[in-house]
Amino acid sequence: MTPERWKQVIALFHAALERVPGARDPFLLEATADDTELRREVESLLRAHTSTDGFLETPAWGVAPELMFEDHEVTLTGRTLGPYKVLEEIGRGGMGIVYAAEDTRLGRQVALKALPPDYTRDPVRRERLRREARAAASLMHPSIATVFALEELEDGLYIVSELVRGRTLRAELHDGPLAPGPLRTTLLEIADALTAAHAQGIVHRDLKPENVIRCTDGRVKILDFGLARPVEDTFRSTTTRLTQAGTAAGTPGYMAPEQLAGGTVDPRSDVFAFGVLATELATGEHPFGSDSAAMIGRMAQMLESEAVVRSGPWSAPDVQQIARRCLRAAPDDRFASGTELAAALRSMTGSGAAASADPSLWWWRFHQVAITLSLAALPAIAWALRPWIGPPNGSRLFFAALVLATVSITARLNLVFTSRVHPRNLRSQRALVFPWVTAVDGGLALLMIGAAFALDGRDGVAGLVITLSTVILLSLAFIEPATTRAAGLAP
Amino acid sequence: MTGGGESVDSLLPVVYQELRRLAASYLRGEKPGQTLQPTALVNEAYLRLLKDRPDRWQNRAHFCAIAAHSMRQILIERARARHALKRGGVRARVTLDDALVAGGERSIDLVALDEALERLEQLDPEQARLVELRFFGGLTIEETATAMNISPATVKRHWTVARAWLARELGAP
Repeated sequence: MTPERWKQVIALFHAALERVPGARDPFLLEATADDTELRREVESLLRAHTSTDGFLETPAWGVAPELMFEDHEVTLTGRTLGPYKVLEEIGRGGMGIVYAAEDTRLGRQVALKALPPDYTRDPVRRERLRREARAAASLMHPSIATVFALEELEDGLYIVSELVRGRTLRAELHDGPLAPGPLRTTLLEIADALTAAHAQGIVHRDLKPENVIRCTDGRVKILDFGLARPVEDTFRSTTTRLTQAGTAAGTPGYMAPEQLAGGTVDPRSDVFAFGVLATELATGEHPFGSDSAAMIGRMAQMLESEAVVRSGPWSAPDVQQIARRCLRAAPDDRFASGTELAAALRSMTGSGAAASADPSLWWWRFHQVAITLSLAALPAIAWALRPWIGPPNGSRLFFAALVLATVSITARLNLVFTSRVHPRNLRSQRALVFPWVTAVDGGLALLMIGAAFALDGRDGVAGLVITLSTVILLSLAFIEPATTRAAGLAP
Repeated sequence: MTGGGESVDSLLPVVYQELRRLAASYLRGEKPGQTLQPTALVNEAYLRLLKDRPDRWQNRAHFCAIAAHSMRQILIERARARHALKRGGVRARVTLDDALVAGGERSIDLVALDEALERLEQLDPEQARLVELRFFGGLTIEETATAMNISPATVKRHWTVARAWLARELGAP
């Protein structure tokens, strides 16, 4: 049939439909005249039309829902496995499909995670998983979904745990970053959960927004503690085929460099993942970018340098400092565990007297005070040198030293004050002031060294001046940058 | 399929995932009443896409078309594979058929439907597209009208005749 002919058929079909059934045949006879083929076509369509009630009304996935699932997936829903009655699928991840199930012995609902065969075929992995499940089951914390058991049922391996209903943080992120208040509370809850787990030597290994669920009461719970295993082929491109989407692996974007490299994983790897999570929750953006190619590039950069973290505007700048410290390439540079992390968060979430508990900030502050005292000594020394240098240079030296030292001391003490009272502004203030302070301090130290060379025959005093000035120069070059970086204030 | 790109690749799985939840409730023989309807999912995913890359997507129709077409490909691919399995003598899982009966839906030979749809496309591309949006994309008459930029009345007319034609081709009772 040609498209033109088809148009004819359609027109007649509709025209016939508009008539009462009895009037259709005469109408068609007249309208098609001697074109019997056309009439037969329309008639057969009209006949078919009478039996189309409900035909194609239900979408394809309703007509053939089993086609939405792989062969091995479909069987669980509605089945009974041992004491567990599988109710519905509630999610899936790299580790397997999660179902809501009823534990008929205890009459309570549980989450049942069916582990894919790749995880359980190998007896060594199976044994390791069993050991880990035993450890994970000992974890009791309000922000951790409790693991009840590892069950072997009909050849499959299942993790049975507390059923947590709610939205994942990933789902929340679709609505944009969290507001500062909820952000801090959420991060603190997660950090506390990490603290509890790390204290028992349990590492999550795959902390990410998909694994954290906000319950109806507003609190969050972390899933899969101690049992999560980021899938080996995590470098698979994010453009997975749609058909595989259900089984897409965890992204490498949450794995610490040492974890990606296949090295040992310890609490500090969780701290790294926490940094990524915090950045995402605070800015709505992944610190290494959203597509995997760019992300891997950034991760590689990160192994070589410190400053890589790319992220949008921070809803809570104080969280940024903590996230930065979590995202250090070297594990030693991060918070050592959830405990330190939670402490840092607490000091920030507290009142204005923020970060005072942060040991790295303490060192930075100590350095500021120490260098201030050294600077204060210089005009005093210049005053003492005045008679030996003689007028007018002695006086000039004194006044120059006095002005320069005053400028620098004022600026530094102001920074220390800011760190106590307005910790959020510290970073920007320091960045603003520091170039000037460096120039002033350097100039002052060099001036004093120059003056020392003019002190003929007074080697003791000259030596003292040169030593003090050199200390100031060296600390400017090495100690100051180090303490600044450690405190997370470096740009 | 036109203009795939990373955005659609990251969002279609979300839609797919949710449709699987719906499918699971069909499998349990429930009417997925309270759960999110498929069209709402497609719309939500589309809005998210728009937010991401306003330049990338011409319009909602574009996304709906891609989603519907993807669903068709996936389902037909699987239906074919399972047909082959049956013909090969491997017994199909009883649970599947049980679930189907429990679902109370008339079973349709999707592979035959797909072939018929291809023939319809030769005859009338617009109608074939409409069926794809309705049946594989789960769009309502009104949504299909918006997606195709035609009136709901026209959609209804097309739908009636396309359904009759397909029913005849499939030899529906």
